[in-house]
Amino acid sequence: MLRRTVGMSSLRTAGAPGIVVAGLRKRYGTALALDGMSFTVRPGVVTGLVGPNGAGKSTTMRVILGLDAVDEGTALIGGKPYRGLRHPLKHVGSLLDAAALHAGRSGRDHLLWLAHSQGLDARRVEQVIEQVGLTPAARRKAGGYSLGMRQRLGIAAALLGDPPIIMLDEPFNGMDPDGIVWMRGFLRSLAAQGRAVLVSSHLMSEVQDTADHLVVVGRGKAIADAGVADLIAAVSGDRVTVRTAAGAHAMRVLVRAGATVAATGRDTITVSGWPADRIATLLSQNAVPFSEVSAHRASLEDVYLELTREAVEFRAATHTEVSR
Amino acid sequence: MKRALHAEWTKMRTVAGPLWLLLGTVAATVSLSAVAASLANCTATGCGGDTAKLALVGVYLGQAPVAILGVLVIGGEYGSGMIRTTLAAMPRRTTVLTAKAVALTGSVAVGGTVAVLGAVLAGRLVLPDAGDRALSLSDGPTLRAVFGTVLYLILIGLLSLGVAAAVRDSATGIGVVLGLLYVVPIVSQTISDPGWRRLLEKMAPMTSGLAVQATTDLGSLPIGPWAGLGVTAGWAIATLLVGGLLLRTRDA
Repeated sequence: MLRRTVGMSSLRTAGAPGIVVAGLRKRYGTALALDGMSFTVRPGVVTGLVGPNGAGKSTTMRVILGLDAVDEGTALIGGKPYRGLRHPLKHVGSLLDAAALHAGRSGRDHLLWLAHSQGLDARRVEQVIEQVGLTPAARRKAGGYSLGMRQRLGIAAALLGDPPIIMLDEPFNGMDPDGIVWMRGFLRSLAAQGRAVLVSSHLMSEVQDTADHLVVVGRGKAIADAGVADLIAAVSGDRVTVRTAAGAHAMRVLVRAGATVAATGRDTITVSGWPADRIATLLSQNAVPFSEVSAHRASLEDVYLELTREAVEFRAATHTEVSR
Repeated sequence: MKRALHAEWTKMRTVAGPLWLLLGTVAATVSLSAVAASLANCTATGCGGDTAKLALVGVYLGQAPVAILGVLVIGGEYGSGMIRTTLAAMPRRTTVLTAKAVALTGSVAVGGTVAVLGAVLAGRLVLPDAGDRALSLSDGPTLRAVFGTVLYLILIGLLSLGVAAAVRDSATGIGVVLGLLYVVPIVSQTISDPGWRRLLEKMAPMTSGLAVQATTDLGSLPIGPWAGLGVTAGWAIATLLVGGLLLRTRDA
């Protein structure tokens, strides 16, 4: 665990802490990679950047890091463009591609050159190696590392400058279940220390237990930017599911009382616009047997599919129906 | 700049490749020079030509590992994708390329000096007494040939770095540099017009730069020793400028 107070150095600098992305536009030939991408990453929160492959997640991260130029818009780190940071790894720690290593260099030496580039020394390298649990393998050549070990090495590199902002592109990719659990806890602890954490994924299930805030992207822009609970509520609507063997009877009773009803399964009907307790009372008064009356709660997966349905650019032609 | 240089030097010394390539330069230079010296037809008055040039002929081969090292210093990072880590850590791209150039210059200066002095020593051991006298480092033109050959190797390394920064691929970079070095002299042999051939030899990075090895009959050279090395330097500067400009303007 980090004992030092984290992130205070750059939180004290002028401008908004965290990352502010505003109106990014970028064209590759005829393809529009970014089309007005805007969102904010705040301290103390894990923000998930989710969307289908090709939606612009990685491009946005490269723009934030000053690697790719944009045609329009700005990406600011604590109010400053990345390229203007003197020791950037002390402001933003990032992992874009865990495989981007020299196979013949040891993990420790990889961290050592990075440390030297920021004016840090070998002691800091040993600290981050221990922090990510890579000590036994640190002096071996990185070419022999498993994907999970490479991810840990990449995380160590991101932590090297003890930055207030951490940005990881698809950190769960290729990790085994142990690694995923470790990564989740680790991201949560980074946010708990007051850091701004941005994590991208093309799989909602990977971030749903980790992120507090979600930016859903599709076709180069943010199509939703909200807290996880708010997003679920928005998609769930005010529908109630009723499970009953007397479906026809229940529907007659509910329709007579003025509810909007639809049969949605062999023994389920969905009621819109009525709270669950009122439905239960009405059915009891009319002696309609039922085994369940519950407010419909969308999963994050539903939210994601709902939001990105329009935005998925390449959907297999045969894949016409999405089963719920 | 100091920190970028420290980082690039750490990169250079923490993989085995650069050391092996420089040892390759030493081995190739010394052994080719020794073979050439042993085949020389020496009499009591001399070895029938330019002894210093003969003893240093090994760099024709020894420059190839230097060129590969120059390409790999940046081309290898494009191959693995590590260039993005480098540029995220050091966003000033001109500084990164400069730091790479300085780290490369230092490494090649050490390796090149060992290779060239080894070739001279081999010449002195293999050639009879006549060659021994001609290969004294206290002799001005010989010292210039030796020193100039080390500079030549550094310039070939820098030229290779510039090319690789522009093409962003190791295999392409090595192909371009070795082609530039070895194909031009071969092509020039097929040109019958002496004027054109001379011009090509003046312009090509290898044939012009190795004029610095000549110690006798300077008047017959297509280009003077230092002017020739200047042409090679021009090549190195031009490719570094183009590579640097592309590095600054392109997405990483």
